[in-house]
Amino acid sequence: MPKQYFSLRNLKFTMHELHKAQEVTEYPYFAHLDREAIDMILESAIQIADNILAPCAIEMDREHMAHFHDGKVTVHPSVKKYIKAIGDAGLIASRAPLSANGSQLPETLNVAMAFVMGAANNAITSFAGLTEGSANLILSFGNQHLKDTYLPKMYAGDWQGTMCLTEPQAGSSLHYITSSASPTSEEGKYKIKGQKIYITAGDHDQTDNIVHLYLAKIDGAPAGTKGISLFVVPQKRIENGQLVPNDVKTIGIFHKMGQKGAPAVHIEAGTNDECFGWLVGEPHKGLTYMFQMMNEARIGVGTTGACIASAAYYAALEYAHERPQGQSLNIKGQDPNAPQTHIINHPDVKRMLLFQKSIVEGSLSLVMQGAKYADKIHSTEGEEKEKYQLLLDFLTPIIKTFPTEMGQQSVSSSLQVFGGGGFCEDFPLEKLYRDIRITTIYEGTTGIQSLALLGRNITMKNGKAAMALFQEISQDIKDATTHEDLKKYATALAGKLGEIQKVTQHLVGFAMKGDTERFLADATLYMEAFGILVVAWQWLKQGTAAKLALLTQNPQGDDLQFYESKIHTMRYYFAYEVPKTQGLMTRLLDDEVLTIQVENGILV
Amino acid sequence: MKILVCITHVPDTTSKIAFMNSDTELNKAGLTFVIGPYDDYALARAVEIKEAQGGTVTALNVGLAETEPTLRKALAIGADDAIRIDADPTDAYFVATQIADIARKNGYDAIFMGRESSDYNGGQVHGMVGEMLGMPSFSPVMKVEIEGTKVTLAREIEGGKEYIEASFPLVLGCQEPIAEWKIPNMRGIMSARTKPLQVIAPVSQENLTSGGHYELPPARSGCKFIDASEAEKLIDLLKNEAKVL
Ligand SMILES: Cc1cc2nc3c(=O)[nH]c(=O)nc-3n(C[C@H](O)[C@H](O)[C@H](O)COP(=O)(O)OP(=O)(O)OC[C@H]3O[C@@H](n4cnc5c(N)ncnc54)[C@H](O)[C@@H]3O)c2cc1C
Ligand SMILES: Cc1cc2nc3c(=O)[nH]c(=O)nc-3n(C[C@H](O)[C@H](O)[C@H](O)COP(=O)(O)OP(=O)(O)OC[C@H]3O[C@@H](n4cnc5c(N)ncnc54)[C@H](O)[C@@H]3O)c2cc1C
Repeated sequence: MPKQYFSLRNLKFTMHELHKAQEVTEYPYFAHLDREAIDMILESAIQIADNILAPCAIEMDREHMAHFHDGKVTVHPSVKKYIKAIGDAGLIASRAPLSANGSQLPETLNVAMAFVMGAANNAITSFAGLTEGSANLILSFGNQHLKDTYLPKMYAGDWQGTMCLTEPQAGSSLHYITSSASPTSEEGKYKIKGQKIYITAGDHDQTDNIVHLYLAKIDGAPAGTKGISLFVVPQKRIENGQLVPNDVKTIGIFHKMGQKGAPAVHIEAGTNDECFGWLVGEPHKGLTYMFQMMNEARIGVGTTGACIASAAYYAALEYAHERPQGQSLNIKGQDPNAPQTHIINHPDVKRMLLFQKSIVEGSLSLVMQGAKYADKIHSTEGEEKEKYQLLLDFLTPIIKTFPTEMGQQSVSSSLQVFGGGGFCEDFPLEKLYRDIRITTIYEGTTGIQSLALLGRNITMKNGKAAMALFQEISQDIKDATTHEDLKKYATALAGKLGEIQKVTQHLVGFAMKGDTERFLADATLYMEAFGILVVAWQWLKQGTAAKLALLTQNPQGDDLQFYESKIHTMRYYFAYEVPKTQGLMTRLLDDEVLTIQVENGILV
Repeated sequence: MKILVCITHVPDTTSKIAFMNSDTELNKAGLTFVIGPYDDYALARAVEIKEAQGGTVTALNVGLAETEPTLRKALAIGADDAIRIDADPTDAYFVATQIADIARKNGYDAIFMGRESSDYNGGQVHGMVGEMLGMPSFSPVMKVEIEGTKVTLAREIEGGKEYIEASFPLVLGCQEPIAEWKIPNMRGIMSARTKPLQVIAPVSQENLTSGGHYELPPARSGCKFIDASEAEKLIDLLKNEAKVL
């Protein structure tokens, strides 16, 4: 097994030197923390990752994957150990406020912990992640009775939480859900009927109960998304102090290509008309409530993309140092007895590794940027708060998409470094390659995220959100320009931003003419170009921070190498990745229309 | 029950170690420091005993101000208070003298520490402290159970285990699986900030040893591939180069 799955040095650089995560402890909301507490909490997550998560990652994928037998789902026994450990540490309640017995931790720290634990074992982390997300929905919108009944058990890790949105006929478009809720004589209590598919952690044997946060339509509700309500539908409900079955049946599990340790379950509620659900908040507001959690969940999936790519990169880096194969192109053929060189010495392998490093560290930086904005929202007021909310809303689809789409390419490249070994189970690469594939699908596919970026966010509040982002980037370009040797990259980014603004105007022109389909037809390509540039911004920031450290801290040894490597990777990113936007933008400005009003028969 | 747990402040076991000043000094730049892994087990067991039987756990470290975060971690894990003897711990006899002095003043029923620190791996301090205080000292202890005044210990010995009955006061050098290591929880981390951490000047004691210089083990050399038809060459390399045959 590879020795390393993430770099603590880089994580701390990204958190503190780059995004100044500890700054937020100066604000009242995070005043219960200081740098030492933040380090200690992160260390707890690392301990859990090293001691519980990493050791069972491969087992959970192979001999002990989630399994369905006799109507029951079983998973690896480490799941219980993990959920209890992070429950005991107070980390399932990491975002909940102190007033609700939560830990009230900054998002930057949450992202750092998720990155470490996901890099160790990305299948297992979904168990606690879902419990946290669903408990937080009850906390934000549920009544006192629901809070008292469910939160202590969920935050302690005794009960599992899930998100039940998807139905066979309603995936990306949730307004087509048909799950129903019929009022009973008791206020807030409904009879639930329906089927949900792909429910992660929807059933398993490592907690005493499963609590589904379930979207359904109350009888007679308006059509579409405005008629969707949110319910708590426990697998076992409490009657006279006892847990009794609540008529939620597991029909089966899906046989997935990756994340095999976490079951995706097909459930049926109300087969015998005895399933009860309790309304969360007001009727018909279910989807709005869900969306409040969506930013977190999407940053979470972006983090998963980044951390899987991190595990793959460090495995590839170690292998490249150890695998002798071939000779340098310059001496090849001169001496048939010369020993083989390690593959890291081949320029093509170095290129692959630099690509991976630039994606892993660029993605982490982007995710952490979003987390920093989330923390600022908690610690500022008025216009400033509004600005950070706009920035976070604007960036969220990109934070979900870049680390997952590019992460897939990065893991593929890590696998390539292993040659034939990458394709085989002797190394964890084939697993990581399968695992990361889901990240561009759930929590909104890349297609859906791209529609959100171009169709909604660009024009949000008359373009105010986009303007706010361009201002942030411009400030960082200005900072970079103060260093002579960064000017070239700062200028390149400024130029590219001008180009993408032109592309944006061109596309928005179609929207103004009412041709929405033409406006959004290539939204995914727009996302790709925009993502590359947003991460170029993150690399310029990293280059600037590294430059500053080199100038002011007189680093030595490994430290010196770390900062030099940062600047080198920034240069790689600008030289190899940023030019890819050229082709994308050429296409986006092109008048040739090939995907609209084209007979389906053209695809044969 | 009053337990003293002595903890070391050591580089994380995955750290890349480098030396400076002509290899006479550890380069601490960029290193992450943790509670010594064996001490972590000792602390976890002491906290378990306190939680089951009542009493107090005091964490002690002989070290400079830089070690305080490590002591506060011990507080977060469950120690009630902490003592830092303000001195650079470079000699085992010096460290043992400091611990014995505190123990004499405060009177503990038991002194727990790791079987050895994971930086210098001396494994001497528990024996010296026992001798200085006239208490029995056991190491490496894998199990400790307490029933009234009776203490049952399991010690690892060559090829097996030795079970011993003892009584208080005593000194234990601990190792796994004496307890499951503990992860500090949020409540612990928050309360650690207000638990007492006393800084005490060392009693005078000359160092009996002084450091020379350090040397890193030779770097792992790359692997050599030998054709299956050249078995003799392989044997020759194993004999004369790797010197393992
Ligand atoms: C492993 C796994 C775990 C999951 N966990 C959960 C869970 O815990 N809870 C839960 O509720 N769901 C869960 N899901 C479901 C997941 O959220 C959906 O699969 C996802 O939303 C996509 O829906 P779908 O599969 O029906 O695909 P579809 O919506 O049918 O999409 C198919 C393709 O069409 C495209 N498409 C769809 N609509 C449009 C449109 N309007 N415009 C342009 N393109 C479009 C999509 O981008 C996609 O490429 C999980 C899924 C998987 C595979
Ligand atoms: C499923 C499977 C079936 C196979 N079937 C057969 C078969 O039937 N018969 C058979 O003989 N073999 C077979 N192979 C072996 C296959 O051809 C090799 O795996 C492949 O040639 C790569 O060699 P390698 O695995 O040793 O990787 P390596 O050669 O070690 O390559 C590792 C990485 O280093 C790079 N690299 C290596 N040398 C250089 C160089 N000089 N310059 C730049 N980069 C370099 C590679 O591009 C790669 O990214 C099979 C392999 C697999 C996985």
